[in-house]
Amino acid sequence: MGDANLLTFPARLRAANLVRTLVCLVVLAVAVAVLTLVFGRSGERIAVQMCVNVAAVVALGVFCGNTGIVSFGHGAFMAIGAYLSGILTMPAGIQRTSLPDLPAFLAGHELSLWTALPVVALTGLVFAAISGTAIARLMGASAAIASLGLLIITHGVAVGAREITRGSQTFFGVPRVVDLSLAFGAAVVFILLARAYRESPAGLFARAARDDDAAAAALGINPRRTRFVSWCLSGAMCTVAGALYGHMLGAFSPASFYLSLVFAHVAMMIVGGMASVGGAVTGVIGITLLQDGVRQFEGGVEVFGVALPEVFGLTTVSLGLAILLVIWLRPTGLVGRFELGPGAGARIFERISRETSPARAPARVSEEILEAEQLSKSFAGVKAVDHMTFAAPTGRVTGLIGPNGAGKSTLVNLITRQYHADGGKTLLSGRDLSTVSAENVARAGISRSFQNLRLFQGLTVYENVLVSALAAGHRGAQAAAVALRELRAFDLGDLAATRADALSYGARKRLEIARAIAQEPVILLLDEPAAGMNPAETDDLADRLMQIRDERGIGILLIDHDLHFVNRLSGWTVVMHRGTLIAEGAPDEVRADPAVIEAYIGRGRTAAAITRTTKEETLPQQGVRP
Amino acid sequence: MTFKKLLLTTTSALVLTGAAQAEDYVIGVMSAQSGYLAPYDGPAYAGFQFCVDQKNAAGGLNGEYMVKTIVKDTRSDIAEGVKVVQEMLDDGAQFIVSSADADPTIAAAQITMADGIPTMTFAGTAPVLTQVGPHVFGSYPADNQQGAVLAAYARDQGLENVYLVKSPDSAYTLGGPEYFGEVFESLGGNIVGTSNYSLNQPDFSAIVTTIKAAEPQPDVIVTWAWEPDFPAFIKALRGAGLDTQVMGGDVLDTPTVRGLGDVVDGVVHTSGGFPDEGSDYAKFIDDFKAATGTTPDNNYYVNGCDIVNMIEQAVAAAGSTDPVAVTEAMAEIENGKGIMSDFTFKGTDRMPLRDVVVARITGDGEKEFVKRTKADPATLPKP
Repeated sequence: MGDANLLTFPARLRAANLVRTLVCLVVLAVAVAVLTLVFGRSGERIAVQMCVNVAAVVALGVFCGNTGIVSFGHGAFMAIGAYLSGILTMPAGIQRTSLPDLPAFLAGHELSLWTALPVVALTGLVFAAISGTAIARLMGASAAIASLGLLIITHGVAVGAREITRGSQTFFGVPRVVDLSLAFGAAVVFILLARAYRESPAGLFARAARDDDAAAAALGINPRRTRFVSWCLSGAMCTVAGALYGHMLGAFSPASFYLSLVFAHVAMMIVGGMASVGGAVTGVIGITLLQDGVRQFEGGVEVFGVALPEVFGLTTVSLGLAILLVIWLRPTGLVGRFELGPGAGARIFERISRETSPARAPARVSEEILEAEQLSKSFAGVKAVDHMTFAAPTGRVTGLIGPNGAGKSTLVNLITRQYHADGGKTLLSGRDLSTVSAENVARAGISRSFQNLRLFQGLTVYENVLVSALAAGHRGAQAAAVALRELRAFDLGDLAATRADALSYGARKRLEIARAIAQEPVILLLDEPAAGMNPAETDDLADRLMQIRDERGIGILLIDHDLHFVNRLSGWTVVMHRGTLIAEGAPDEVRADPAVIEAYIGRGRTAAAITRTTKEETLPQQGVRP
Repeated sequence: MTFKKLLLTTTSALVLTGAAQAEDYVIGVMSAQSGYLAPYDGPAYAGFQFCVDQKNAAGGLNGEYMVKTIVKDTRSDIAEGVKVVQEMLDDGAQFIVSSADADPTIAAAQITMADGIPTMTFAGTAPVLTQVGPHVFGSYPADNQQGAVLAAYARDQGLENVYLVKSPDSAYTLGGPEYFGEVFESLGGNIVGTSNYSLNQPDFSAIVTTIKAAEPQPDVIVTWAWEPDFPAFIKALRGAGLDTQVMGGDVLDTPTVRGLGDVVDGVVHTSGGFPDEGSDYAKFIDDFKAATGTTPDNNYYVNGCDIVNMIEQAVAAAGSTDPVAVTEAMAEIENGKGIMSDFTFKGTDRMPLRDVVVARITGDGEKEFVKRTKADPATLPKP
């Protein structure tokens, strides 16, 4: 992709997103058409059940796919939807016999499904908001277990609330009004909603936080909020899907929404691919076709005049085999980590030529200063940072050096509030940042890269930078323009459509800096940006950084082991050793400071001796030039 | 066993195709072959198919209608059940035999209601299931009948104070003890306490402690718990040194419960039937064993067979296979002839009034007959 192609990229990405949505819809429509046209009424029934399952699993995927957390709690939402919709739509006559003790405010509504569904969705949203305040605080396995807890609690309440649910007894009399057009329509709407959310800024934020919580927070994204929003949308959608499921069955009990249903839906999602909407759709279709295909042979059929005996249990066996095979051969599911359909770099989009102009370089930042005052941090009694005081103003590259274990990265993490300081504070032009959240440090204008690469692996190069621009408050086309500018500045244009996890090491390093720069920060903290780069790459990076400093006037706090690289860029060098400041000043002065040399290569050797004896050995490698 | 069963059904299919000239009566069978219903649906279907084959070999129902069965697996999944019932109706089913539980039966009955296709559960005992419509039938003595008979027996034994152990997780485990308690109280007994457990609860020590502390002490403990809850409960109870009389529902009528040894010695339970020597039931067991090699070790086999008898008598009384006529005729059956026991639908809400057997487990792993009686419709608790 050349430069011209890069500029057309946003249009191509929009087209690709549209095509991917269409692919989901077409896959579903084809499956439904084949079932109904080839297999008649029984095929139509399978299609109805399949479409309702698509709605439920797509709704489940809105949370699981965008946050990476497997939820078992969605059976709770489905139960709420099914029972509530059942009660609201039930004919009053049946209700009087089946639910004689129903509280008056729920009784006798006899609503149509279309009137009931908004009430159901709203109730689901409220329930999701309440449960989400707890679940969104958790990540990974603990969130999954909490969601399972929610399912168990809801199941218990459904069994206990006998006046409303008939307890563990069958709840019946629910109008069976879900036909193919309704089920298919619902599946289409759910796919559109899920796709729209996934590609929206909120969805991108959620996926960024899914891939790296800390890196997302460093861009000003609140990971907890992204999980909360995904949970609420997913919960409300699941509640509606549950209502449709109830109206498809006509009779159910709390057990109908318990573990077996939840596991079936989670299995469908994982077989198809949890990370994408296309995966959810493919998983449901694949498993439905497999099970219903195999089922035809269970009851004993005649094939070419030979009567095959009944063999029950084939469906369960085939499902188990399918799950095993998928996990073995394609651990990320049939569809994989990206959406079904062509990416923005595909050839079919080459004819799209609408260009987006990269944003102009931002105006030079006003003069500000980042100051650390007496910052301290101990880990298990070891003082990692001990009363550090220094300043990094705009317009200057401040080098922060020190041997391994000196506490440099800890210091950066204190400034960005990854860690909470034991003492001291950080000020940005007098504004105290030591009590704000990591997200608010980013919003105040401090942006960073990480010592160990922390890219959003599940996003493309372009999306990695776009997320950053969006998080900084740019909207729509402006965010795209900013992303293009930074991709160009770091020579990543050719790679815009590439997945971040497929990049070479040097490109990953550049991408991380581009992502940080897209925030248009006042102060940029770079934690070993050149580590692992070859000399040519290091020089290239230095040139790009100097250009940015000169153009935008931002302040850079640069940490690196490569002293040659640091000295080339820095106007001021701060030296740390064992958590404390041992020297600071112009690079030339610091370089000659005996304390600094001692810290780097040990006691008992003077600067002069070093200059004389180890010129060819240690120092050139360390980059200290006499 | 499986092979013989397969052979049997395959031959029945061949017999069927050979004789398809006579008018066929198509019966759709929902049978869960996996999941929680499989232990009930499996034997019930085996017994059902065995007797269908017998009838067909003798020229069909009443010598007139060859029975054609459509059997579909529901995997104990209600959504799957809904789908297969619709498919069976598409394929011309004139009668539906549904899984052995209220959920799938009620779901099926809501679908068969439109055409009034008679629908009978394999062994669902929750009396609520016939509330869906006049075309729904039970086949096994309902929970309230079992509870009423057992309560009357307990009062006859002079027992005064009962402690109920129930689980709200299923209609069966909840309903049985509640029906027992209702009748027990109406006969002058007292409920001295109630505890709830969860299905598959591993530890019953808390409940046992509560029972131990009950004041006054119960002289009988009643639970409709099944395996593995019942074994866990009875071991905890006896382990705590309580030798109070324990009574339970027909789920205790299994070889595995009887095999628990000393702890179940003297436990009394209800049952749908008892194969007395020389009875039709005993003959059924011998015939079934001879034909399939499997010994029917629970009542679901013979009850499956009795469903065929119920259908045959309803068709005979209706004089046709018209679904509405069969439904009406079924509801009017009085003292119909069955193998496990006779059955009466007339005057009931279509849960048949049948004999309930009370049996006692002995320490050597056997059960002994205690009494056989019908519940009194007048004192039957409402579902």
